[in-house]
Amino acid sequence: MLFGYRRVSNRVHTMATFLVAFGTTMSAFWIIALNSWMHTPTGFEMRDGVAFATDWWAIIFNPSMPYRLTHVLLSSGLTVAFVITGISAYRWLRNDRTASVRAALKTGTTIAAVLIPLQIFAGDLHGLNTLEHQPQKVAAMEGNWETGGNVPLLLFAVPNKETRTNDFALKVPNGASLILKHDIEGVVPGLNDYVADDGTILHPPVRQVFWAFRIMVGTGFAMLALSWFAAFLFWRKGEIGPWTARTFVAMTFSGWLATLAGWYTTEIGRQPWLVSGVLATKDAGSDVSSGMVLTTLIAYLVIYTALTLAYVMTLLFIARKAGRVGPIRPLPADPHPNYKPAIVPAE
Amino acid sequence: MMTLFGDPTIWLPHVFAGLMGLSILIYVVLDGFDLGVGMLVSQVDDADKDRMISSIGPFWDANETWLVLAIGLLLVAFPIAHGAILTALYLPVALMLFGLILRGVAFEFRAKVGHVQKKHWNRLFFLGSLITALTQGFMLGFYIMGLEWSAQNILFSCLIALCLTAAYILVGACWLILKMEGELQQRAVSWAQKTLMVTISGMGAVSLATPLVSPRIFDKWFSFPELLILAPLPVATGALFLVLFFLLKHMPFKNDHYAWAPLILTVGIFVMGFAGLAYSFYPFVVPEKLAIYEAAAAPESLIIILVGGLVVIPVIIGYSIFAYTVFGGKARTLRYD
Repeated sequence: MLFGYRRVSNRVHTMATFLVAFGTTMSAFWIIALNSWMHTPTGFEMRDGVAFATDWWAIIFNPSMPYRLTHVLLSSGLTVAFVITGISAYRWLRNDRTASVRAALKTGTTIAAVLIPLQIFAGDLHGLNTLEHQPQKVAAMEGNWETGGNVPLLLFAVPNKETRTNDFALKVPNGASLILKHDIEGVVPGLNDYVADDGTILHPPVRQVFWAFRIMVGTGFAMLALSWFAAFLFWRKGEIGPWTARTFVAMTFSGWLATLAGWYTTEIGRQPWLVSGVLATKDAGSDVSSGMVLTTLIAYLVIYTALTLAYVMTLLFIARKAGRVGPIRPLPADPHPNYKPAIVPAE
Repeated sequence: MMTLFGDPTIWLPHVFAGLMGLSILIYVVLDGFDLGVGMLVSQVDDADKDRMISSIGPFWDANETWLVLAIGLLLVAFPIAHGAILTALYLPVALMLFGLILRGVAFEFRAKVGHVQKKHWNRLFFLGSLITALTQGFMLGFYIMGLEWSAQNILFSCLIALCLTAAYILVGACWLILKMEGELQQRAVSWAQKTLMVTISGMGAVSLATPLVSPRIFDKWFSFPELLILAPLPVATGALFLVLFFLLKHMPFKNDHYAWAPLILTVGIFVMGFAGLAYSFYPFVVPEKLAIYEAAAAPESLIIILVGGLVVIPVIIGYSIFAYTVFGGKARTLRYD
């Protein structure tokens, strides 16, 4: 995996590799269980304003958990697939046509082409689950203000919170009803149902959720188009062309983009709640002064922006270096030939 | 099982306080040595930097999981205390995170980039290690002073920040005595000698300050017969210190004898200091404000976490021991195979 090839047997090393995968998946499982509970809390009771666990099974496997976990695990696979194809396509375009580059391109394309339809299907199920448990989030995703049937699918619009309508809307008639209810007359919930009598808004901010959702779905369909086209080329010609490779390079970080947009959709979509119906976000803040929070937020943004730039540059540096050095890199000669590792690995 | 131990709202918090304390102690010792090495790399040339960093390469992020475990236990087992402590420590915690982030990223990137950039990442690696050590020391000092902002408390916390940083360099130098050879090992001995004094002064300052801050803690130490029962603690600390002091004067020995001894003795000193603090603050998790059983989560929650913990903690200890065995012996040039 990362290190230790020479110090342990092949079997132990392979096992360690699988344990890393297993541990990471377990980590995702528990994070998603917790996060999903914040969206669809079950298995607890309130005593004096504190939530007490009554049923751990219901808490961990809460209604949105299986959908969100599937969606997130598939997104990880897609993210990796597009990073691999993006970097391999970059090397391929720099005339590094070695077997390893081809194999990586082909593997990445195959993984992406298989996972993306599964992801679109899982995403649809996740959306229907959200419609059942958090209808106001779906209303914001669709930009639908009034509950009713024959709701159009909005390809483009600028939701306006002052007039509570959409500006510049480009519609597909009955689209949203068809997607969400599989019936053109299907009733889709509207945002206006989530305004209290005193005018308090109980639905999420619309524009952010609406656009984050479109970025995610748009990226997803771009992934579908590119990976299937590339898979088709591999199948018919055994080779992709320079423009397909360039598109792969452009899509290197598309997995992150879609994943982040998806998280923005679901997390902003839960507002104004931190835990749906249980704890409002505004009631959950600590006593730390807002000035201090803002200062650290800016510092985090600065550090992460710098690190993201460094990350991309290092990735490109490694990709270029790999091309220069060539496909097979023998291990450097051992500078301490008399040194014997504790365990001698199998050859 | 619950009836066996009596009231679960009392014994469960104690079990978790014990687990959390153990995690903190293990963290301070383990990440202490790799933070110390991270600060000492500023003293040597590029080839030696690689050698020193290779000695912590397989361990450092496993060491940091103990911090995650400790904070995680604080959150799940003592949620009210977690809120109070992390709110009071918001700024130093944020700074510590910046340090840990820079250090972790620098560790990975310095090995992958070109020659020129490697210098920058080396500098960030040092800086991240230094920030992490200083902020942790500051937090320790601030915790001892009862988490209250005042000029005097900030001054004391800054003093402890320097002393804990010295203590991390000490344990880092002792690690290098074990893992290095030749000239670098000799330099490690002199680093250890220099920081030993600061470390002991810091422990002295903490020992003086703790009873002065709280009359309750004063009474716990300086009344009869506690004074006699507790006497072995400072006496043993002094003995460990003296043995380490004279050992370092004569190191290294022929055939690398006793290369492990400074590390063991330093860990012993850390354990003594930790035991003293634990005794002083018990039963409080937020000093003088919130006892462990007052801050604890509901027993229903604690019991399921305990079951998880009893599975996970032996696994962590097991793979840690395995990793230290596999990567035992003197560290060579940086390579990950």
